[in-house]
Amino acid sequence: MFAEWLFAAFSILAVLGGIGLVTFRHPMNSAMSLVVTMISLAGLYALLSAKLIFAIQLIVYAGAIMSLIIFIIMFLNVRTEDLPEEKGRFLYLFGGVVVLAPVFFFLKKIIQSIPATKATILGDGFGGIKEVGLVLFKDWLLPFEIVSILLLVALVGAVVLAGKRRMSK
Amino acid sequence: MLLSAFEKVKLENAPFVSMGFFAAAFVMQLTAGNHESALYGSVFNGMFVSNSFTQAAGLVIIGCGFFTAMTCLTYFKQNNPCTMEFYSVLFFATGGMLMLTLSRELITSFISLEIMSLAIYILVGYDRKRVTSTEALLKYLLLGAFAGSFFVMGSALVYGGAGSTKFAEISSFISTHSAGTPLLIGGAFFIFVAFLFKVAAFPFHAWVIDVYDGAATPVTGFMATALKAATFTVFANFLALNGAMQKEWIDFLFYIALFTMFGGNLIAIGQSNIKRMLAASGIVHSGYLLIALVAISTESFSGSVIAYYLAAYSVGTLGIFAALSYLGGKGESRMSFDDFKGLAKVRPYSAAAIAVFLLSMAGIPPTAGFMGKFYIITSAISANQMALAVFGVISSILSMWYYLRLIIIMYFQEPEDTFEIENSIFAPACTFILVFCVFALGLYPIVI
Repeated sequence: MFAEWLFAAFSILAVLGGIGLVTFRHPMNSAMSLVVTMISLAGLYALLSAKLIFAIQLIVYAGAIMSLIIFIIMFLNVRTEDLPEEKGRFLYLFGGVVVLAPVFFFLKKIIQSIPATKATILGDGFGGIKEVGLVLFKDWLLPFEIVSILLLVALVGAVVLAGKRRMSK
Repeated sequence: MLLSAFEKVKLENAPFVSMGFFAAAFVMQLTAGNHESALYGSVFNGMFVSNSFTQAAGLVIIGCGFFTAMTCLTYFKQNNPCTMEFYSVLFFATGGMLMLTLSRELITSFISLEIMSLAIYILVGYDRKRVTSTEALLKYLLLGAFAGSFFVMGSALVYGGAGSTKFAEISSFISTHSAGTPLLIGGAFFIFVAFLFKVAAFPFHAWVIDVYDGAATPVTGFMATALKAATFTVFANFLALNGAMQKEWIDFLFYIALFTMFGGNLIAIGQSNIKRMLAASGIVHSGYLLIALVAISTESFSGSVIAYYLAAYSVGTLGIFAALSYLGGKGESRMSFDDFKGLAKVRPYSAAAIAVFLLSMAGIPPTAGFMGKFYIITSAISANQMALAVFGVISSILSMWYYLRLIIIMYFQEPEDTFEIENSIFAPACTFILVFCVFALGLYPIVI
């Protein structure tokens, strides 16, 4: 029972953080809402007794990546008056909600069709470093390897699109 | 097969090196056995499966990469210079597409899809000085990320429904239970949304015109052909995983195909810019391919109709984009219909080549496009989809309007331009090789 309440609380917090991320005007506020989302996701992982992912989520996402983002916002020193005027953004928001409403009802219907099951506590071994490692490198070796290609593409792309161009030749 | 070369050579040599790699990959792909086999089955757990369909699709994709590299050589002589990374990103895109055709597992598909899309985003936005290019990049990136998130959500639902993300296990789940469970329907729906976005089918086609217009011409050619080939291959593989699955979705795909064809035609008729017209006609061709998807038989799935049409369409489209990239002049100054007035009087060979490509896309015998359409229509008839076959023919007649319009402008009007171009042999050579390919592909089924 307590776990279910925790689950609901974390989910609502995560969604609220996501909404805040897109609706706040100042980037710093958005970044802070993203932190909320990240930490509540970590809580959800902990509820699933996925220890390793919980730790990684906290350290890598909520810790390292978020501090990097906030660092960059700090460097740019964005002030409220620097931000562009966004006229009618609530109108766009409303339009988006109207467009996506059918998708929401569709999803709701799907979720209601899932049969209710009793949550059980998993065994001790689940979600530890050893178990995750075994699954990752035995069953899911290929996706794991090609993610590295994906990261390489993203790296090259960032250099190409944002880096300095040598305009010789 | 999965080459991602990053060569430290001079910029002038880079296209040659990449052409060499593409050619080597093509030969390897051609000589590899075409029997059904799991690649490195024990290590990769059967996540990669190759058969004659993926082999054909791989050949199309690698061929597209080869001709794109060849065209770029000329294109970048008269437009903004590119850097080394352009060709490496081209390789990454090709590698992602090949993995996408091979993958038989949803997570692997998603990662390959993202490798392909990221590389294509970079290629689209490569020319940072042009505003249209940046606009295209931003639009494509945001909408593409949205579609990607739909794919992930769909995979999660399918996993919840079937307990696995492997195509083989989903299929065995469906044959023991049914494909009609809400979780599977919802999951498949969201995955279809992502695929339909990538191939620019009807409700998700709005991005395609601006993006094709903003990208550099050879890149547009590459996007229009290789990307579509890869996405349709994985789409067909996913749809054909079980007969019950396909039956659930036939009606849905029927209407999508219908609206895609006619919507694309309506948009194409209104365009005055050649690149935008070709983008819209690409939507129409997606519609024809969707007909083929409706008509595939899952018992003996070989995908030969789809692979043949992809090859025929790719040859025609790549050819016309290759021609446009050397006729376009400095900074793509010549791009609207009126700029090509009387091309036949000044450059008869180029005009003839463009005419051949347009006729192939319109589906006039004896070109490849005709045979491709012929196969699609006959497969639709044999799958008892008479209405769809009739609509396909009507749409192909409608599409003559805008293809023939360009031919008329080229041949029956007086030239106003001298069509001066940079002297570089590669894009014209590429164009004429592709003209040969159009006829070779068209006659291939008759000869054999």
